[in-house]
Amino acid sequence: MEGSSSSSAIFYDFLDRMRNPASLDLVRSIKSFIVSFSFYAANPENDGKKVQDFYTTMEDAIRDHPLWAGATDQEVDCAMEGLEKYVMTKLFSRTFSSTPEDVKIDLETSQKIHLLQTFLKPEHLDIPAVLRNEASWLLAEKELQKINAFKAPREKLLCVMNCCKVINNLLLNASMSENHVLAGADDFLPVLIYVMIKANPPQLHSNLKFIQLYRRQTKLVSEAAYYLTNLVSAKTFIFELNAKSLSIDEIEFEESMQAARMTNKETEKEATPTLEERTTSQGQTDPGPSARSHDKETSGASNYPYMDKEAGDLTIGDVERLLSVYKQVVTKYTGLCTAVKHLSLSRTEPHVTNLEARNVFLRQPEKTGKNSDQRVGQ
Amino acid sequence: MGCSASLPDRSSSGRLVGPNSENGGASDAKNLRVKLVLLGDSGVGKSCIVLRFVRGQFDPTSKVTVGASFLSQTIALQDSTTVKFEIWDTAGQERYAALAPLYYRGAAVAVIVYDITSPESFNKAQYWVKELQKHGSPDIVLALVGNKADLHEKREVPVQDGIEYAEKNGMFFIETSAKTADNINQLFEEIAKRLPRPAISSTQNP
Ligand SMILES: Nc1nc2c(ncn2[C@@H]2O[C@H](COP(=O)(O)OP(=O)(O)O)[C@@H](O)[C@H]2O)c(=O)[nH]1
Ligand SMILES: [Mg+2]
Repeated sequence: MEGSSSSSAIFYDFLDRMRNPASLDLVRSIKSFIVSFSFYAANPENDGKKVQDFYTTMEDAIRDHPLWAGATDQEVDCAMEGLEKYVMTKLFSRTFSSTPEDVKIDLETSQKIHLLQTFLKPEHLDIPAVLRNEASWLLAEKELQKINAFKAPREKLLCVMNCCKVINNLLLNASMSENHVLAGADDFLPVLIYVMIKANPPQLHSNLKFIQLYRRQTKLVSEAAYYLTNLVSAKTFIFELNAKSLSIDEIEFEESMQAARMTNKETEKEATPTLEERTTSQGQTDPGPSARSHDKETSGASNYPYMDKEAGDLTIGDVERLLSVYKQVVTKYTGLCTAVKHLSLSRTEPHVTNLEARNVFLRQPEKTGKNSDQRVGQ
Repeated sequence: MGCSASLPDRSSSGRLVGPNSENGGASDAKNLRVKLVLLGDSGVGKSCIVLRFVRGQFDPTSKVTVGASFLSQTIALQDSTTVKFEIWDTAGQERYAALAPLYYRGAAVAVIVYDITSPESFNKAQYWVKELQKHGSPDIVLALVGNKADLHEKREVPVQDGIEYAEKNGMFFIETSAKTADNINQLFEEIAKRLPRPAISSTQNP
C-alpha cells in the first residue's frame, strides 16, 4: 500500500517536469484532452474509458520521452500519479457525481443511513462483542468522512484503504489479545457496514464510482481492489437493506424506520420556527419537490444547479450538495482571480503564444494543488 | 482452534516463495498474478485453509502482518514459473449472499468449500457452483473442496459424492484438512497447473 506523505512531492515534481520546455508536447496532449471533455455531455462509463485510455497513451508517451530517458518504472509511475491527479482535478466537476441518477442515489443512501443511525445496533449485524470497539470504529469513520477533502482518485482511494486498515487492525488485535478466532470476511464486512452507517460519508456512491472509473486501472488491483470492492459491497448492502437483512424483528424494524422518519420531519420543522409564508423558510416537510428538482437541475448542461430555486424549494438534504457546489464556485473564482492578477503583472513580458499557454496551464493546478494540500494538513 | 494444530505438509512439489515477492503487480507469462475467490458457508474452514496455506511457509517468529480477509501467497512451480494467488475471502453469512457477484467478478479461480461433516454445506457448495457457471467469467477455474477430512468419524458427505459432482461439472476436486494441513498445498498447486497461461512467445526463450 502506498504512503501518503510523498503525495504532494510527487505532484510538484510532475508540475516541475511539465514546466520544462522539453515537455511541451506532453502538455499539449494533456490540455487538448481536458478541453475535449467540454464538447460532450457527461456519460460516466464512456468518460471513464476515455480517461483510462488516455492514461495508457500518456504512460507510453512518458516512457518514450527524452525527459524520462532512462527513468525507472517507479519514476514513470510517479509521473503517472501526478498526471492522474492533475487531469482528474481539472475534470472533477465534469466527472464527479455527473448524472442525476448518481445524485439521486447519493441522496437516497445518505437519507437511509440517517434513518438507520437512529436505531441500528452492532447486534443487528451479529458483530461479536470483542469487535465492538468505539475508539477503532471512530478512527475508521473519520477516514471515510475525509473522502470529500480530495479530488484525486488516488487520494480518495487512500481514505478507503485507511478505513479498511483500521478495521483490519481491530480484527487482528482481537484475534491476538482476546483470543477471538480470526474469521476473515465474516468479521470484516459487518464491521465495515456498521462503520459506514455510523460515518454516513458524503456522496458515498459517487465517490466509490469515481474511484472505480478514474483511478488508474493498473492500481486497482490486489488489496486496493479487494477493499474497494468491500466498500461497494457494504454500500450495496445498505442501499438494499430491509428487515430481513438484519437480526431484528420485522415489525420492530418498520416501527423504528417510521419513528426515525417522523423525528426527521420534526427536526426539520423546528429548524424554521417562523411560518411557511416566509420565503426564507427551509422547513420543507415533503421531500418530494426537492428530490424532483434534483433531477431537473442536473439533467441540464449547467454545472450550477439551484440557480432557479427559491429558498423554500430547498430541504436539509440539499445542504451537502449546495456546499459542494459552493466550494467548486469559490475554488474556480479564486483560481481566476489569481490568473487575472498574474496576467496583469506579467503584461510586460514578451507574449509567446506557446509559453503563455503553458503558463496558464501550470498556474491553475498549482493553485488547486495547494488548496487541497492545505485542507489535508488541517 | 483446529487449524493451528500441527505442521503443514511439506511433501509437495511446489515451492513457496517469500511473503511479498511483489513484482509491481504485473502479470506475465512466467509470473502469473491470480485473483482467487473463496466461497462457501460460514464455518466450513475457508479462513483456516488460507491461513494454513499462507502461514505454513513463514518462519513463525518473523513479523508478517497477515491480513484478516485479503491474503496473498506466491508459489513457484517446477517449470520455474510463479503464481501469486491473491485470495479474496467472502463473508459466508446468508445475508451477504447477494453481494457475491461483486467479489467473484473477474476472478480467475473460485474455490468452493464445504465441510464433509455437513450435507447442508455441500448443498450450499452446489448452489455456488451453479451460480458461478451462470455468472462467473467463462474461463474461470472452479475447485470443489471438501474440508475437515480429518473428522472421518463424523463424515456425512461421502468422498464419492464430491468426486462425482465435480466430475459432472468439469471441476477439480480435493478433500483437505486445514487442521492437519493435509492436501492444502496440493490444492493450490493443482489449481496453478490448471490456469490458462498466456503463451510464452518463442522469441523470449533463449
Ligand atoms: N477438525 C477440523 N476443523 C476445522 C478444519 N478447518 C477449520 N476447522 C474449524 O472450523 C471452524 C471454522 O473455520 P473457519 O476457517 O473460520 O471457517 P470459515 O467460516 O469458512 O472461514 C473453526 O473452529 C476451525 O477450527 C479442519 O480441517 N478440520
Ligand atoms: Mg472465514
